[in-house]
Amino acid sequence: MITNATTSNIHMDKKQLKALMRRSDRPGLKYLISWVALLVVTGIPVMLSVGTWWFIPAILLYSGCFAVSAYALSHECAHGTAFRTRWLNEAVFWVTSLLYYEEPLHRRYSHASHHTHTWIEGEDNQMPYAPIPLTFAGWVEEILGLGLYWHQTKMFVLHSLGIFSDNVKRVTPESELPRMQRNTQICVAIYVGLAAVSIWAGWMWPVYLIVLPRVLGGPIMNAFILMQHVEMAENQPNIVQSTRSFRTNWFFQFLYFNMNHHIEHHLYPTVPFHALPKLSAKLGDQLPDPDPGFLSTHWEVLKITIRRSLGRNDRSRKIRQAFSDDLTGADHDRSMA
Amino acid sequence: MTAQWHDACATDDVDDEDLITLKLADQVVAIYNTPEGFFATAGMCTHEDESLDGGLVMDGVIECPLHQGRFCVRTGKALSAPAVENLVTYELQVRDGRVWVRV
Ligand code: FES
Repeated sequence: MITNATTSNIHMDKKQLKALMRRSDRPGLKYLISWVALLVVTGIPVMLSVGTWWFIPAILLYSGCFAVSAYALSHECAHGTAFRTRWLNEAVFWVTSLLYYEEPLHRRYSHASHHTHTWIEGEDNQMPYAPIPLTFAGWVEEILGLGLYWHQTKMFVLHSLGIFSDNVKRVTPESELPRMQRNTQICVAIYVGLAAVSIWAGWMWPVYLIVLPRVLGGPIMNAFILMQHVEMAENQPNIVQSTRSFRTNWFFQFLYFNMNHHIEHHLYPTVPFHALPKLSAKLGDQLPDPDPGFLSTHWEVLKITIRRSLGRNDRSRKIRQAFSDDLTGADHDRSMA
Repeated sequence: MTAQWHDACATDDVDDEDLITLKLADQVVAIYNTPEGFFATAGMCTHEDESLDGGLVMDGVIECPLHQGRFCVRTGKALSAPAVENLVTYELQVRDGRVWVRV
């Protein structure tokens, strides 16, 4: 089943859309420089506070800034929309994918399947690892990202050896598999090389500024990722029903590269991150109201999963939510809603 | 069937750095207007069944609207994943303000 603007019955003037799709290096560079500056400003306290209690708040703050934007920038570059200059886009794509912990070509192909078959069970390669509808245990699993770590680690090992699952082969042309294998070997060599040099030179900064922040910032990053489709309808072609946009403050919008406009992004993925607020305004009332802020929307999601785990009414009045029988595996029926 | 020349559209029908798609001899054909001139390729992406009509033309490259696979509009060469298979290209001539394509 295909999911796009047409199957979602959304219309946009072609000229206006093309104007929004236009590329420029400037917004991406501005974001990149601001993000690196933010990492420097929040990273210095991390390095200065090692061995003290201040290290805990310092690394938590740095980790959130590190992990959410590494994911978001890698995602934007996977679409090729972060920068107009292609080599710049690809260079940033490699670095941020390494930070995010996924080989770039695999990231691009699996994400393509997510766009063609958004939230279609068995076709979208980026569905949650925990069963849907999410229980509290599933929420914990998704937020900790254990399934993702395990999956990506397996990919690094198997793809380095040239072993590809049927699922990977389903979304990747055969001619690309050798390139995927070579890329994975390069990624593994970079990880192992950095670890070896760090041990040899006695460096701790890769642990404090990359490894720990990826692990500690992972739950915040996963909370953003989970919000994109959780509790929305599965297995149907309308992106508006399967995807969530939400309001959030300027800082989270910055960290997340405006991906809170997630319905808009799925409808027109060629529109770069910096033009998404404009696209949202142009689509107007063809879109549902965005859900409330990041924290309040996620808090609702958490409450839903807890109530569901306790066998209580899992409906929310505050956020958009699919009817239970639009969620795979739900044993409730629509009358419960 | 041998290829024939078709009067496809007026040059004004295609905006600068943009494309249109139309059906000629049962084929979906994309006609591009770039600073280097007009070009014609197949109008459907080779990655999946997506029309290039909503794509972005930039620096002589068409970017597919679905997954942003890229093709050279002059040669049809697939330039970046997820597009790996080249686009078919068609001969094109501009005569008296009309675009002719051999399909
Ligand atoms: S359909 Fe064109 S790149 Fe995927």
